[in-house]
Amino acid sequence: MATPSSVTLTTREQRAFEHWQARRRWARAGLIYALMLLFAIVFVGPLMFAAISSLRTDPLEYPPSVVIPQLQPSNWSAAARLGLAGNGDRWFGGFAPGAVVPFEIAYFVPAGVDVVEPEVEVPRRRPGAGLGAVLAIEFAADYASVSALERRPDVPMTVDTDDGVIEGRKVGFAFTISYEGEGPEIDRLPLDVTAVVGMRYLESTLTASRLERRGRTASFNNVAPGVLGYVLRNYVRVFSEVRSPATRQSLFLAWIGNSFSYAAVRIVVTLLIASMAGYALARLRFRGRELIFMLVLFSQMVPLQVLFISNYLVLRDGIVTIGGFTLSSLWGYPGGMLNSLTGLVFVTALNAGAVFIMKQFFESIPREVEEAAMIDGASHWRRYWNVVLPMARPALGALTILTFQGAWNDFFWPFIVLTSPENVKTLPIGLLSFRNTYGAVGDWGLILAGAVMSAIPVIILFVVFQRYFMEGVSFGGGKE
Amino acid sequence: MRRILIGTLVLALFGGALAQQIRIMGYGGQDPAILVRLLDDVIGAELAAEGITLSYEPLEGDFNAALFNALSAGTAADIFYIPVETAPGIIATGKVLALDGLIDTDAFIDTLVEAYTVDGSVYGIAKDFNTLAIFYNLDLFEEAGVEVPNETDTWETFADKLRGVAALDDDVYGACFPAGFDRFGAFAFATGWQTFDDGGATNLLDPAFVEAVTWYTDLVREGVAIQPSDIGQGWTGGCFATDNVAVAIEGAWMLGFLRNEAPNLQYGSTFMPIGPSGERGNFLYTVAYGINTDSPNRDAAVRVLEALTSPAAQQWVLEEGLAIPSRTELADNPFFLEETAEAQANATVFRGAADGNVLGFQFGNIGTDWMTPVNDALVAIMTGQASVDDALTEAQRDLNALLDRAR
Repeated sequence: MATPSSVTLTTREQRAFEHWQARRRWARAGLIYALMLLFAIVFVGPLMFAAISSLRTDPLEYPPSVVIPQLQPSNWSAAARLGLAGNGDRWFGGFAPGAVVPFEIAYFVPAGVDVVEPEVEVPRRRPGAGLGAVLAIEFAADYASVSALERRPDVPMTVDTDDGVIEGRKVGFAFTISYEGEGPEIDRLPLDVTAVVGMRYLESTLTASRLERRGRTASFNNVAPGVLGYVLRNYVRVFSEVRSPATRQSLFLAWIGNSFSYAAVRIVVTLLIASMAGYALARLRFRGRELIFMLVLFSQMVPLQVLFISNYLVLRDGIVTIGGFTLSSLWGYPGGMLNSLTGLVFVTALNAGAVFIMKQFFESIPREVEEAAMIDGASHWRRYWNVVLPMARPALGALTILTFQGAWNDFFWPFIVLTSPENVKTLPIGLLSFRNTYGAVGDWGLILAGAVMSAIPVIILFVVFQRYFMEGVSFGGGKE
Repeated sequence: MRRILIGTLVLALFGGALAQQIRIMGYGGQDPAILVRLLDDVIGAELAAEGITLSYEPLEGDFNAALFNALSAGTAADIFYIPVETAPGIIATGKVLALDGLIDTDAFIDTLVEAYTVDGSVYGIAKDFNTLAIFYNLDLFEEAGVEVPNETDTWETFADKLRGVAALDDDVYGACFPAGFDRFGAFAFATGWQTFDDGGATNLLDPAFVEAVTWYTDLVREGVAIQPSDIGQGWTGGCFATDNVAVAIEGAWMLGFLRNEAPNLQYGSTFMPIGPSGERGNFLYTVAYGINTDSPNRDAAVRVLEALTSPAAQQWVLEEGLAIPSRTELADNPFFLEETAEAQANATVFRGAADGNVLGFQFGNIGTDWMTPVNDALVAIMTGQASVDDALTEAQRDLNALLDRAR
């Protein structure tokens, strides 16, 4: 029987050892996590920064800050209240008949400076650039009336500056903006509050979008924005300002719709063709099988740029046969298939890489499975459709994801095929048109918002289906 | 046989219907929307009555590359944009129809017509245009107690005014001067210097050019003017919107930007300062409509070009605040006389086209590549890496190589 002291000693040693081990484990885990975090920041950082900048009023703000008014909860609740007051809509706000929007603004006035009531004005402000500038819009200025200003009790306060502490007081003013009489519902209610030199803007119900005239004017893009209208202003603009001048339909929605339908059709067509061709090349024995497989591989090797002119001409003219009858008439496009999603799918649907992946996968499925079906009298088609294809689900999953990602981000072919009108474009081409329209006038907020939105489906896809991405890589790579 | 006959018949009918379909190729961005509204509001009904319909094909991305591709592939539209900076190259392809006798060019501003004249023939009708003007921040000048720039300013008095405002604070500057010939060139023209001499050569060592470079870069080295990138901006308009820069030298394209980014900026505008030659200098930035020589519907195309540049269409574009018209008769349009800062700026830019040494923003057949050596020299001088003489000597050498290659 061990003495009590030796027991405590060995237990202590034991504990010390365990602690040391635990520390090492944690240190190692900590190191690995730190490294992973570092990588995550390096890779995700730019995306995060773009996402934050897309919320900003001025994405080019220099030096940039991460603390922005759009991310302050006090502004969220104010935006919701103002949105309710303006249009009964806490999410998107607006300015509708009968609205009474209460607003307060406060200035710091140094001792010795006289307080002068600031000028409050609802300006006639139209978008200066892009499609918003071309479309005719309603102005809140034509319907809004601003009440008399009510001065709040002064509060003594001091302000620290580089030149020392300045004594003074906080002076607040309250007023309402009302919509009397009848009229249309208006998207936004801009506001300018101009004070005299010497009075310094402190705060307001909603943080000012920008200070102008060397600090004299607090300018608000919209004082009845609603939470989403405030935080996601650029995102809302993407939908509200970018409209087709002919039909007034949102172009961005049309582009998203086109991108989704293009991706969906391409997935279906690719899965069908690739699995059928893959099955044939893997299982059927016929003359020229090797040659066909080589041809498929060869088409993968020829760069896109070599083929695109001939393919473009086919799309433009159709294939002319006797009597002016064109092949594309079969699909209902007698005048060529440019500027149609059908034409786009037509030139992009055949994907040699997909055929290759499917062939490799089918070869990995044991022949015995099919032989069992053959004994039961199953035809080739039945064996393909009812036996092998269901077993190929992992490969089909991987292919679906890769195809979706490829189609969603596809730029080259849509750029060539889809040019006019605006609402026939897919998202990447639409973003290029954004850059031309809004980049030229420095309206980067709108472009960033569009870019972030176009990235979302692919990010979701990647997060949810990571496993399949990896499988997709291994199918292509190794032969089992 | 019967099938062939029917096919030909269908083709003929189809072709007949297409005969009045005029295609236009132009910039992307907001231009397609402008055309749609122009058709709806002004010229659409008139053209439709004559059986002409229009389709607009925007060339997104690099317009010049796309247009040259379309011209060589034979897919160019009946009417296409001709940007002034690449006009000589585009006209040299022989694919642009000479408009002599087809369109009356007398009604358009002379300098605009000249920019599209090659060997006495006119190849394009400017759809709209821009020149440079001085935009000044009224609040800053008031705060500094300096008189705002006006049309009697010379280079010296103008620079003194900028110095006065820049003295206000460490982060206040007189102007943003980009290291680019696309703005600086206007000052070079104010000395009487020209991009090309009669022999088609460029002389950057001409004392007049050296004087302009010295004046422009000295203001930067003195700290009165600053390059936009030094205060985190991409261009002069961005500088101006910060409220810390007294003047911007830009065209009317800045107005829309200010409307969005600095809607309360109190600004005024005036003409470029008078240079050593006793004249102002200015650039003419424009884009014209040209007609494809291969157009199967030439008459209809001419008709459309007339409609697009008609007084009614140009007045609409002006009054919507979208662009400045190229017809001289619109100089007296009431829009220019309005009291707003925007209307006055538009009027200044409009009148700038006929005041002093005004040259098109173009560089012969080599296009905008011409500017690269000059811009490099301006950067080197502004950042103190080279003296004016050294930098210009090197730029001249590079430019000669460039011009020789193009010959």
